[in-house]
Amino acid sequence: MTPLLEVRDLAVSFATDEGTVRAVDGVSFSLAPGRRLAIVGESGCGKSVTALAIMRLLAPNARAQGSVRLEGEDVLAASDSRMRALRGGRIAMIFQEPMTSLNPAFTVGDQIVEAIREHTDASPSEARAQAIAWLARVRIPAPERRFDEYPHRLSGGMRQRVMIAMAMACRPSVLIADEPTTALDVTIQAQILGLMRELSEETGTAIVLITHDLGVVAELAHDVLVMYAGRVVEQASLDTLFRTPQHPYTVGLMGAVPRLDEEVARLATIEGTVPSPRAWPPGCRFAPRCPFVIERCRTEVPPLAEVGPGHVAACVQAPLDRFAAAA
Amino acid sequence: MAGFLVRRVGQIIPTLLFVSLLIFGLQQLMPGDPALILAGEERGDPLVLAQIRAELNLDRPLHEQYVLWLFKVLQGDLGFSWRIREPVAKVILEKLPVTLQLGLMAFVIACLIGIPAGIVSAVKKDQPADWIANGVALAGISTPNFWLGIMMILLFSVHLGWLPPSGYVALTVDWRQSLATTIMPAFVLGTGIAAVLMRHTRSAMVQAMNQDYVRTARAKGLAERIVVAKHALRNALVPVITLGALELGTLLSGAVLTEQVFTIPGFGKLVVDAVFNRDYPVVQGVVLVVAVIYVLLNLAADVLYILINPRLRHA
Repeated sequence: MTPLLEVRDLAVSFATDEGTVRAVDGVSFSLAPGRRLAIVGESGCGKSVTALAIMRLLAPNARAQGSVRLEGEDVLAASDSRMRALRGGRIAMIFQEPMTSLNPAFTVGDQIVEAIREHTDASPSEARAQAIAWLARVRIPAPERRFDEYPHRLSGGMRQRVMIAMAMACRPSVLIADEPTTALDVTIQAQILGLMRELSEETGTAIVLITHDLGVVAELAHDVLVMYAGRVVEQASLDTLFRTPQHPYTVGLMGAVPRLDEEVARLATIEGTVPSPRAWPPGCRFAPRCPFVIERCRTEVPPLAEVGPGHVAACVQAPLDRFAAAA
Repeated sequence: MAGFLVRRVGQIIPTLLFVSLLIFGLQQLMPGDPALILAGEERGDPLVLAQIRAELNLDRPLHEQYVLWLFKVLQGDLGFSWRIREPVAKVILEKLPVTLQLGLMAFVIACLIGIPAGIVSAVKKDQPADWIANGVALAGISTPNFWLGIMMILLFSVHLGWLPPSGYVALTVDWRQSLATTIMPAFVLGTGIAAVLMRHTRSAMVQAMNQDYVRTARAKGLAERIVVAKHALRNALVPVITLGALELGTLLSGAVLTEQVFTIPGFGKLVVDAVFNRDYPVVQGVVLVVAVIYVLLNLAADVLYILINPRLRHA
């Protein structure tokens, strides 16, 4: 079966005044219909750039190489007009900042209707009815009234619901959600994640979730892709990754999640900072921060190798079980 | 919206009262005794002077004079021109349509050139189209109006003979002739303002194009021209409207040099003549009318803001 979305060796570089900067390097993954994949990593690891590259929404100074196939169609080679038909139609996206992602000058209803009318033959009144139905479906109270309101009258959570309604209104097969809950209160986060899971189950829309928050990953994802410094370092199913992380970076991320069932004096952190894309370290890019680093790590780029069924990690020392035993 | 309008119009009243106080104060500071000037040959006769002072209320205390003057102004009586020997209101009403026509034509030309050029330059930022637009705008700002006016007369009137070099024909008399006599001065006035509008439109559009909602609009699959013309422009227009209202106010208060070059009998020429002849009632009348025009334009700009930016409706 052809995967819904297949990304192969995606590389994104930016032309800057100080030369070309490669922000994403050799990212590959595939997504089956109805599946939910989380791309996890710290700020600057290239996860958002990957998402924008798939949508072809990168800034003009960016160049994406490799291949992105949506339902078999080459996205990176599509014409601009074909791309517009795909965007919002087959593949939709929601963003981190619900406060600024809606246009303040138009009512929320108009903004949803605009998406529907762009991709379907719906008449204005049909589009309006559909938009109201979607507002109801994302659980916005009094949708008929909210339809005519401007974004500034809605809370952040409500605005993100509007964004979801707008993204889902044309029934895309893939929804890319870039840090959809980062700007929201924790209680609202849970509601929005629940809503996304529910909609994905009901409509069969696959989700690519971009986040730095492992709690969010656990709520929503089937599979997880961990990125570090522009590269994929580990990929596995949610359970496998959480139970047996095989890359030292993933292990570090897990350690940095505060837990209620363990008493610790202070939160664990990963020493050091993410390297700059202007100066990636040679060899394994995590080597300067890795507690298990050996000489090979500093010279050799570790390939993504299978460490278990459906589980790959890019570490010369993987599997890491012997370290766990030692500790 | 209705509440906003009522409040906003209410705010105008104190502004206008303040303006009227300033103008009245100016009147008091001016050198010379109006009674002496009006008495002319009979200035030696104290009886005549007393009679004139009584007629003009000059023998009353200042605050009473102010109130009496204000009531007259409210009834449309702006005084009497010493030089033209006609009521100031009548003189102004004769010149106002000329200035309105010239100012509005110049403003339309400025918007038609400035706003599209600003948009193109923002969308094509740091590309040749942007450089060209910026270069032309710089030239437009730097070129003195009177020089451009003289050059246009040389080209279109003297060499090509397409347009009359000077004079004015009222719209109501012959609209073709009227447009022919005003198009050059309107263009001269408009280009300078177009350049300023272009610069402001460009910077507001560059900012708007970087907003998250523009990315959302693109993510919806909208065509780039809709993203630019609908989503970005609507939000970029607010600062442009502020500037437009100010520039239109400047245009409607008379273009002294341009009116001189093209001998257009508008406000600019009226004020210059009045100042040189110490015809103070005319100067005051024009200042008052211009102040009212400015206040009304600002009101119009505020109303436009809330039509464009719904967030301001509840502020």
